[in-house]
Amino acid sequence: MNCVELQASLVEIEDGRSPEQRNHLNACPECSALVAELNLIASAAVDLRAAEEPSPRVWNSIEIALRQEGLIRPQRPSRSLLPSFSSRWAWARWMVPAAAVLLIAVGVYVRQHSVTRDIVRDLRPTPPVSDMATAGMNDGLNDDDLLQEVAQLSPAMQAQYTDNLRHVNEYIRDAKGVVADNPNDEEARRSLMEAYQEKAMLFELAMDRSLP
Amino acid sequence: MSGRTIQLVVVGAMLAGTLIVQTTIAETTIAETTIVQNTIAQTTIAQTTIAPTQSAQTHKEYRFNVGPHAGVSVNNPYGSISVKPSTGNFVVINAVLSSDKVEVDNSLVGNRVEIQSHLLPGGEAQSGRVDYEILVPVDASITLHSSTGPLRAERLHGDITLEGAAATVEIRDMTGGHVHVKTLNGAVTLTNVQDGHVEIDSLSGDVTLNGVTGPLVQVISTSGGINYTGDFGDRGEYRLTSHSGDIEATVPDSTSADVSARSVRGEVHDDIPLQPKAHTWFVIKEGSAFWGTMGRAAVSSTVVLRSFSGKIHLRKRTSK
Repeated sequence: MNCVELQASLVEIEDGRSPEQRNHLNACPECSALVAELNLIASAAVDLRAAEEPSPRVWNSIEIALRQEGLIRPQRPSRSLLPSFSSRWAWARWMVPAAAVLLIAVGVYVRQHSVTRDIVRDLRPTPPVSDMATAGMNDGLNDDDLLQEVAQLSPAMQAQYTDNLRHVNEYIRDAKGVVADNPNDEEARRSLMEAYQEKAMLFELAMDRSLP
Repeated sequence: MSGRTIQLVVVGAMLAGTLIVQTTIAETTIAETTIVQNTIAQTTIAQTTIAPTQSAQTHKEYRFNVGPHAGVSVNNPYGSISVKPSTGNFVVINAVLSSDKVEVDNSLVGNRVEIQSHLLPGGEAQSGRVDYEILVPVDASITLHSSTGPLRAERLHGDITLEGAAATVEIRDMTGGHVHVKTLNGAVTLTNVQDGHVEIDSLSGDVTLNGVTGPLVQVISTSGGINYTGDFGDRGEYRLTSHSGDIEATVPDSTSADVSARSVRGEVHDDIPLQPKAHTWFVIKEGSAFWGTMGRAAVSSTVVLRSFSGKIHLRKRTSK
């Protein structure tokens, strides 16, 4: 019998010693000292229990305090789905709920992205007329571009476009003037918007795709 | 958080995540619905060549069977386009080509007929002219495009869009539908257009409206005049705007409308006694603006007449 076998055998055999244990204890001072200390603790514990036993009220108070601090929980049947980190495949098992969380995050992101796209497409926010007027709806409507576009048309049509360009610029100028004089006049702002709309249409007709 | 609670959260999260992803995938992969069509076939009737009494004119005819609410689009740089209702679900196109310097491209794409006058090398305004007469189902949506025109449409119920730089536009006897017109300097005339959503944009062409009513009638012109004859219906919004052109509205006694008129530099006249509006948000200056109600206020249309430097005149129609 070696030291490990002796220590394991101490649990099984309470009284006396088996021949194998006695032989090992006689030959092994360390195991002999260990057994002597264990016997001393066992005898002292019996004496202590008899000498200073706290009253049941003390134990109750301690128990109440521990429950309040959450250190004592009622016993539950150990059927937990949560893997323990100490088990061999614990990290793999934790991937399942982690994957669930990731799945939710992806789904929410995709859904929000599509909803946002729908909202942007459907709402088509229209800036205030005054912002459109002051921010320059003329951007992209270069008069020279229009004149260049119609240069290949007949002289009569070129004259028509030039004439209408002049009229629509007057329209825009007059509408801007009214807005400047009456910034709170909603109709004035609408009139300016319509003037720009007319100019945009002029460009659209000039770049008519049906022309050769 | 207790272990049981964590278990429930995890299981619920897995179910929720799966549901969200599946729903999102389903929404993004739903195929577009297509219009269920009746049998659609294309038949090309043999073309005939007219004896060259002029300059080798050619007559061509095409026929297409279409489903309900068909679309018809005609793009014709030079020449007229006239559209009338057919007696069934078919489109018939009669084209007169002025020379061999132009050809007609035609196609049926789904439930939409597309016609394009294609100029060949050497083609110009005279030699590239094609005149179309088209029959379409009454509920068809029409788009006509011609620089020279004229453009004509009558007795239809569907949406129509007419565009042309110098093309005159004539629309008559239409019911319902949307009417959109855009011209540079071509004159626009609408006659007996009922319950329509009408939007007309004409830079310098005069616009004439006879018996035009609907939930929305809007005319915007830069320098063209606007002439309205009718009773403005019983409910609707009518907005006639011109920068420098004159605006004239002639209405019968039976008209019920809330009419406001305003010109920055031009004169404003009304021949009809109006109940003055109690509260107006712009200053009513005699000779430059008026705002009042005629007829029954409870059932009336809203009429807005605006010009910057043109004259505005509200006339009373005299009974014959």
